[in-house]
Amino acid sequence: MIAFEHVGKRYGGRFEALADINFRVGRGEMVFLTGHSGAGKSSLLRLIMRLERPSRGRVLVAGHDLDRLHISQVPYYRRQIGVVFQDHQLLFDRDIFSNVALPLTIQGIEPVDAARRVRAALDKVGLLHRERALPIELSTGEQQRVGIARAVVNKPALLLADEPTGNLDPQLSTDIMRLFEDFNRIGTTVMVASHDLALIARLRHRVLELREGRLVNDEVAA
Amino acid sequence: MSQRQEATRRGARKPQRRAGGGGRAWLRHHRAMLGDSALRLIKRPVATLLTMLAIAIALILPAGLWLALDSARLLDAELDESATLTVYFDAGVDESGAMTLAGQIGSQPGVAGTRLITAAEGLAEFQQTLGVDDALTQLEDNPLPASVVVTPENPDPAEVQALSQQLQKLDGVDEVRLDLAWLDRLQQLAEVGQRVALALALLFGLGVLLVVGNTVRLAVESRRQEIEVVTLIGATHAFVRRPFLYSGAWYGLGGGILALAILALGGNWLAAPVAALAQSYGAHFALPSLGLTNSAFLLFFSTLLGWLGAWLAVGRHLADIKPR
Repeated sequence: MIAFEHVGKRYGGRFEALADINFRVGRGEMVFLTGHSGAGKSSLLRLIMRLERPSRGRVLVAGHDLDRLHISQVPYYRRQIGVVFQDHQLLFDRDIFSNVALPLTIQGIEPVDAARRVRAALDKVGLLHRERALPIELSTGEQQRVGIARAVVNKPALLLADEPTGNLDPQLSTDIMRLFEDFNRIGTTVMVASHDLALIARLRHRVLELREGRLVNDEVAA
Repeated sequence: MSQRQEATRRGARKPQRRAGGGGRAWLRHHRAMLGDSALRLIKRPVATLLTMLAIAIALILPAGLWLALDSARLLDAELDESATLTVYFDAGVDESGAMTLAGQIGSQPGVAGTRLITAAEGLAEFQQTLGVDDALTQLEDNPLPASVVVTPENPDPAEVQALSQQLQKLDGVDEVRLDLAWLDRLQQLAEVGQRVALALALLFGLGVLLVVGNTVRLAVESRRQEIEVVTLIGATHAFVRRPFLYSGAWYGLGGGILALAILALGGNWLAAPVAALAQSYGAHFALPSLGLTNSAFLLFFSTLLGWLGAWLAVGRHLADIKPR
């Protein structure tokens, strides 16, 4: 699903955010990406999302060589990826339903069909009863779940999450991770960037550890 | 919002349906954005009205000048009918000779009427119009010849030209002057005016672009987060641009309508004094209005300008907005 081949990323010609990264993530895998802040987790995710291009090497996602992807194809490529952000990035001027429906609206899905899918996604994260609420009326944990519902509403093959539990207490964090495991169980490839090592250790998935831009560890948590 | 409610209502019962074709989805989004952008403008009526007013003013100046030129052209057409020839006699022709000669000219074919201006009358008129009494009273002799103002039967410039040549051949005639020169000048002035109007239209068109561009730039800035998010989840540039293009078009259309309204109002306000002024010259003259075609053209053009201004602004600022 994801392949990094000798990937390096420099910013401004000097700062080396990533250096010679090599790994593969198979279809249907669940992987954690760890490391201190500044280790390169976000840079790596940005490369996968094609927000940036590598300075060296190749990034392949779902059969696309991202460097060869034409700029006009990038939006269509991104539709295959669900992304959960640390600060959930909900739009506060519209209700939960519209927030979750956003990817479907962008893709021009028939409203009837979209409504059904939005409900399914909200049901999955346990917020079906709040569909008319505004994001501001929700707790942080609920907002994050809405963010997840939005990320999965169009059934992406790949789900990326950047510190999805960064602002949550341990119990809520565990709930969120369980949710990712559920999506992984139905075949979605999941990559979660997190520095919550205790939580990651308990979940026993493959862990990619970055340190100063290098991949220093690639193993299943013991 | 209504689209969502509709989806809610219908989605509850009806069985699933396949996603529509690209064209239908595209059309649906266009419709949604047409309404959505209008709603956003209506929610901030004062700001919207101010922007539209700025556009209206930018449109009124060239349109108003164009109307003024149009009325000058109408006036011009009327004046054409009163084109006259002035026949100047030789200095040696005395007053009785002038009368005879005037009669002779009056009987020529193609002459509708004559008016004799004797040398003395000519001098008096000259003094009056120029206000140079002192200078002229110093002169011992009247340097002006007698003349006849001839009204031709046919005001066609070629005919008038032929008539002037015919009169030139008469004994005692020194010079025939066509009074078309000043008409020529008026026409040239109108030409200058037209170019000025065109230059103004270009300048103020640019002004409309800037006004809309700036407004849309602020709108883009205020929806920055939304733009970032939708870009992250796979919105195309066209999708992101669409609502802003529609608001630009709305601004343009609103500005155009305001401009038409203000022009109509101003026309009404000027109508009475203009009519009075025309009457004092013994002419009948009404201010021209833009008319249906030109009004439609103005609206189309202002809408297009609004759209274009939005397009330029969004294009520039989308490049700046890179999701973090």
